[in-house]
Amino acid sequence: MRKYADIAAVTLVLALVPAVAGGSPYYMRLATLALVYMAWTVAFNLIFGHTKQLFLCLNALAGTAGYLAVVLAIQLKLSPWVTVPVGVAAAAGLGALFSYVSVLRGLGVIFLGIVTLSFSLIFHNLVLGLRQFTNGETGLVSRGLGFSLLEQPVPSYYIFLAVLLAALAIYQLLMSSKSGMAFRALSDDELTAELSGIDVTWYKVLAAAVASAILGLSGALYAFYNGIVSPSVFSFVGIDIPVLIALLLGGMRTRLGPVIGAIAFALLEELVRPFGQLNVLVYGVPLIVLFTTFREGMVPLLGKCLAMLDLRQAAPLGSEQAEGQRRTP
Amino acid sequence: MLVRVEALYAGYGSTQVLRDVSLEAHPGEAIAVIGPNGAGKTTLLKAIVGMLRPSRGAVRYEDRHLSGLRAYQVARLGLLYVPAERELFPTMTVLENLQLGAYRNVRAAGLQLGYVFGLFPRLKERQRQLAGTLSGGEQQMLAIGRALMGGPKVLMLDEPSTGLAPKAVAELYRNLSQLKDAGLTLLVTEQQVPLALSLTDRAYVLEQGSIRLSGRSSELLGDPAIKRAYLGVV
Amino acid sequence: MTALLFDGIVQGLQLSLLAVGITLIYGLGGVLNLAHGQFAIVGGVAAALLVSFGANPLLASLGGIGAAGVLGLIVDRTLLLPAYRYRGEERLLLGLILTLGFSFLIDGYLNWKFPEFSLSFQLRVPMVELAGIPMRTASLAASLIAMTVFAVLFAFLKLTLLGKSIRSIIENEVGAELCGIDPSRTRTLIVFLAAMMAGVAGVTQGLFSSLGTEMGPEFTILGLLVAVVGGVRSINGTLAAGILLGIVNVFASHYVGAYVAYIILLSFAMATILVRPAGLLARFT
Repeated sequence: MRKYADIAAVTLVLALVPAVAGGSPYYMRLATLALVYMAWTVAFNLIFGHTKQLFLCLNALAGTAGYLAVVLAIQLKLSPWVTVPVGVAAAAGLGALFSYVSVLRGLGVIFLGIVTLSFSLIFHNLVLGLRQFTNGETGLVSRGLGFSLLEQPVPSYYIFLAVLLAALAIYQLLMSSKSGMAFRALSDDELTAELSGIDVTWYKVLAAAVASAILGLSGALYAFYNGIVSPSVFSFVGIDIPVLIALLLGGMRTRLGPVIGAIAFALLEELVRPFGQLNVLVYGVPLIVLFTTFREGMVPLLGKCLAMLDLRQAAPLGSEQAEGQRRTP
Repeated sequence: MLVRVEALYAGYGSTQVLRDVSLEAHPGEAIAVIGPNGAGKTTLLKAIVGMLRPSRGAVRYEDRHLSGLRAYQVARLGLLYVPAERELFPTMTVLENLQLGAYRNVRAAGLQLGYVFGLFPRLKERQRQLAGTLSGGEQQMLAIGRALMGGPKVLMLDEPSTGLAPKAVAELYRNLSQLKDAGLTLLVTEQQVPLALSLTDRAYVLEQGSIRLSGRSSELLGDPAIKRAYLGVV
Repeated sequence: MTALLFDGIVQGLQLSLLAVGITLIYGLGGVLNLAHGQFAIVGGVAAALLVSFGANPLLASLGGIGAAGVLGLIVDRTLLLPAYRYRGEERLLLGLILTLGFSFLIDGYLNWKFPEFSLSFQLRVPMVELAGIPMRTASLAASLIAMTVFAVLFAFLKLTLLGKSIRSIIENEVGAELCGIDPSRTRTLIVFLAAMMAGVAGVTQGLFSSLGTEMGPEFTILGLLVAVVGGVRSINGTLAAGILLGIVNVFASHYVGAYVAYIILLSFAMATILVRPAGLLARFT
């Protein structure tokens, strides 16, 4: 149980947030959004951190689920309990497809990145083009469709907290099983992993499918929670970039990196908000500074600090990837 | 002494390959480094030429320390390396490959080209052909020719006979002998021991990263230990 | 029909100008420059600034192109230094992120400083006839400029020793070093030239259409697509890919709506990458 002390601690802290911020709708929304991004970052950690698949279409995967769930609910008068799983399935299917095709065609990191980026743009244009369903740029209202819980701040918060915990649980399950070893092997050297009998295709597609499902679930629920779905809700700059920064900030391939990173990024955004247009600094500068200094991210750094202070005799936070980090120059 | 390696330790990451390796080559000498696969011959050459940073020890060339120099800087000093993979430019012509070899010394390029074509008439015939379409032996000739275009004082070759048919190997070593007679200092690593020993003046035996034996090539040819290990004589 | 084809070629040449810079920087530096589109914008903005100071449009354009080149130089010698310390995939990813961050900075700054910017050159003779086909002088001029740049580039790479050394580094950096070629000095030169070519694309955009400060990311993405479709290490492939995609884009836009056309273009690019991952004209894979 010692191993999960960190998750328990974080869960406790997160669960108590409404007690502190419950009175302010603004801060509740901020906190809830942070939870959404944390789940998305966990997913990205699986896809990019552990299996080196540079998916630059997180917004499209989350958005596909989101739009599908809302549009089906509106058009076919179906309950969100039906449409959300459909959205999740679609996202998972797409993610798995991209992963499968890229392994099949032997696409390297950048090629997959470009292909998924293209998909992201296609998604954006599809949404704008299919205006009879999506109402184009203006978007659709996603209230009153039968998901009343997501229309109240505090219940919403706990729903998304549950989603995050589920995502972390799935992550932990994967990493501590055979899959975790496979991920480590193939992210180190794919050819050797393949030659050692590891079915690289299966594990990559698995990671992509699971991650995309998480992206889709968060995305679909977020679509209802937000009250409006429009292209700007699921934009590349609004999702992929912050998630990337959050993962790098928190620490790739660590268990709690996504959580810490997302919180740190949210704080950064709040700090820069008063500067208006210059908030690009939040995107530009951290990217540059991060990758030149804190290569490993905050979680390993924190782990090292705590280790130095002799507060932990056990392995530091995010222990699964201790060896992985060592190999990073 | 022209090239001197002193107590060199080198490896890849946490794997130590070379241990306390020392050797030297005097001007005009031809030196062989022989040994089995995995002994560290390629690692040694890479460390000398700057493609690999040694963890300990030094490489000296004409009284300069080569440590810390990049490969292209070492090349510019006249220490030219022909790797086992040859590293040619496949979509460029034979002529262009040779011209690039003279990059650091464009003025002498014309003369050098004449010399190289004289040494390897086959290259002259195929000068407009793409390097990637040459046969193994021709590619080896081109790789050596390209190095010669740089006007080297020391020429280092890593297992030049690899992948060549016996006839091509014989021709190659005839050419190397010519170069040696012309006064070029040679450092050759080989698995084909008799060839290497017959070409060179002195040789070092590298096994598992350390020098086990060294001496005059002619003497080593007659050494019973060498005979057993490398010449298949019981 | 031929008017469309011509338009496609003009646009295609634009894309190729951008893409070839990305290809060169990737080939020599091992870095995918996600800020490349911004070089084009900076070139255009600098040109416009010079014009507003009273400079003659032609000189202003040259100045803008030069400014783009200098920016490229600065990026190579400062921003990308951490990336160059690594090799292979590490360098690629690090460079990707650094240039992405830089792209945001430039985009944000330019949009904030020049919120209503638009660069547009007006030529004295709006239309001209070539072989009986009427065409806009601006388009013709833009394509001639692009073709000249390419011709000079090809001549440089094919005929000069420096050009050959550049090709040699792209093809085999180890082999080039063994010939005594310094890859990092050559790389800086190439980034400078690539940035200038982006600057040309930016200025010519102002010639046959108009250039806005928000176009940076779009330019980068289009340039990336063309570069990858053409094969990130092949310059001929990039030129072919650009023209091809330009034609596809123009025809698609003509027959269907703007959104669908973009989707067709993107799908076409994706399909080409999946079918020929090594690039359009790849030979030695």
